[in-house]
Amino acid sequence: MSTPLFEIDKLSLQYHTNGGAFHALRDVSLTARRGEVIGIVGESGSGKSTLVSAMIGLLSANAYITNGSVKINDTDLLTLSERKRRRFRGHDIAVIFQDPMTAFNPVLPLGAQLIDFQFHRRGVSKRDKRQHAIDTLTHVGIAAADKIMAKYVHELSGGMRQRAAIAAALVMTPDVLIADEPTTALDVTMEAQIIHLLRQLSHDHDGTIIVVTHHLGVIGELCDRVYVMYAGQVVEEGPVDAIYHTPGHPYTTALIDCDLVHLDETPRTLPTIPGRVPDLAPPPAGCAFANRCEKAQTRCFASAPPRVQIAKEHAAWCFRVPGHEVAQ
Amino acid sequence: MTALMTAANLDVSLPMPQSPLQFLTPGRATIDILRDISLTIDAKTTLGLVGESGSGKSTLARALLGLQPISGGEICFDQVPLTTPAGFQSLRRSTAMMFQDPIASLSPRMRIGKQLTEPFVIHRVVMPDRGARAAQLLDRVGLPASLADRYPHELSGGQARRVCVARALALSPRLLIADEPTAGLDVSVQGEILNLLRQIRDETGLALLIITHNLPMVRHVSDHVAIMYLGRLIETGPTRTVFANPKHPYTQNLIASKPQPDPRKRRSDLAIKGEIPSILRRPEGCEFHNRCRFAQDLCRQHPPELREVSAGQFARCHYAETLTK
Repeated sequence: MSTPLFEIDKLSLQYHTNGGAFHALRDVSLTARRGEVIGIVGESGSGKSTLVSAMIGLLSANAYITNGSVKINDTDLLTLSERKRRRFRGHDIAVIFQDPMTAFNPVLPLGAQLIDFQFHRRGVSKRDKRQHAIDTLTHVGIAAADKIMAKYVHELSGGMRQRAAIAAALVMTPDVLIADEPTTALDVTMEAQIIHLLRQLSHDHDGTIIVVTHHLGVIGELCDRVYVMYAGQVVEEGPVDAIYHTPGHPYTTALIDCDLVHLDETPRTLPTIPGRVPDLAPPPAGCAFANRCEKAQTRCFASAPPRVQIAKEHAAWCFRVPGHEVAQ
Repeated sequence: MTALMTAANLDVSLPMPQSPLQFLTPGRATIDILRDISLTIDAKTTLGLVGESGSGKSTLARALLGLQPISGGEICFDQVPLTTPAGFQSLRRSTAMMFQDPIASLSPRMRIGKQLTEPFVIHRVVMPDRGARAAQLLDRVGLPASLADRYPHELSGGQARRVCVARALALSPRLLIADEPTAGLDVSVQGEILNLLRQIRDETGLALLIITHNLPMVRHVSDHVAIMYLGRLIETGPTRTVFANPKHPYTQNLIASKPQPDPRKRRSDLAIKGEIPSILRRPEGCEFHNRCRFAQDLCRQHPPELREVSAGQFARCHYAETLTK
């Protein structure tokens, strides 16, 4: 097994609020190797946005990392000074943001911004940077890229904007490319095209792509390995096929069942997960999903479930993984 | 089955955006937002209206409720044409709309209880106990009565949706229009809202018009489906028939474009290329021809008519019968 390019180890993070410490991330570990497409799936409140912010070191002022590390090529980003960390952003790690309309500056032409994003590249002429920006735009499927360079974001259509946002993240050819809800703002037909583009990129991009989304379809179409998050924790990790076909955690099973794409016949009532995500200030003592889980027992409320290895690279944090029940 | 609302050959045009050189071209140019829309909503049924952004589905909903002036055609509610202000007044009493963004459609400065009972005040319906009525409405959508004292920002997304359902139901409407009722909701709670809407429809016999771009949802909640593209209906019919056997290439593409949450069903080819054209430059002939795999010369020159291709199923395509997926 090759060494991981990107590694998060036991990351815990709290937001200090008036209501006390909000445990937004608890012991989150994740690895990504070169050439892999990793999916992080979770619903609102699962901590996936906080995780993205922590990965690139853009946390809000009331966020405190209490434990853990975020390493790219064995350099821990969390111990670096802000100045040094800035050198990593864009060059080694970049994000495709969810809303391309707000990711760009509305009062500067797109081209000027794509050139500015290359400020790390010392000794390269502006002309070359401009050419590189045009090449990157062409690479993500924008025709007549030199004309687009002079446009402002609001002049582009939704699909073009998303492509431009992908180009902005790619312009420095980062090792780690994070796509935060890359298709949420798009229509079905544009969504299919962007998924197609990301899949092409994953073939000729020599790094890792991390797709963060609440949309199981996007993960199913794109990723090699998946991390399922719930209430600030990873509850299951594994190869995409295992996650969709032999899920170990009851939350993963319930989440997949809720996706209406699966249903061939219309049931009398559509599937839901009753109940709410627990309050994380402070987090529950036992399993965070216990209050919504059909299989919950007394011990699920009392103590945190262990990591249960189901197969190679497939694990779930649950007492009652089918076929791997932890003895009482 | 009786038709509750019908629209016949509905057109909506808006004046073109103002140009600084407008004085050179006398007479105001217009753009057609909706063209030749005919549809029927039956009592006690659900119609799903599907389209991508810019297809005119929200404009259609607004036109049906009289919030958008129409430039041609006719809308009837209960077989009564809506041509007079009085006609619209009765329409407003018996229809309700759930807007796309639930938090934005609630007043941020008004407590939930007060917002829920506002329709009674507006329509001068006698209401002995305002608090009790609010509690009753909240109970109907499965929310605790204590929520009446809260402000919208204190609610979760799912709760705000339910409040909007409760408010829409306040005057017992006969038609409820829901614009993207599950947009922004987690998959684990979207079923709750859809189940609630269906349950209320079955209990009260109201008609539902659901506007969405979410095809799997339409498939499981609606009885009939209408698909829009650039302000025209391009396919309509019973949901089962349309999903089992879509006749228009755009419908086929839409169904094929949905990402599958199953890595074993990964698609390698791209269902549809290009983007929806601007409504300012409506293509000649069939509006879809420049994105259609099957387009022929006929499609580039002559716009097809919406015609019946099988029992109850209509498609706007010259070659609907001969196309295969």
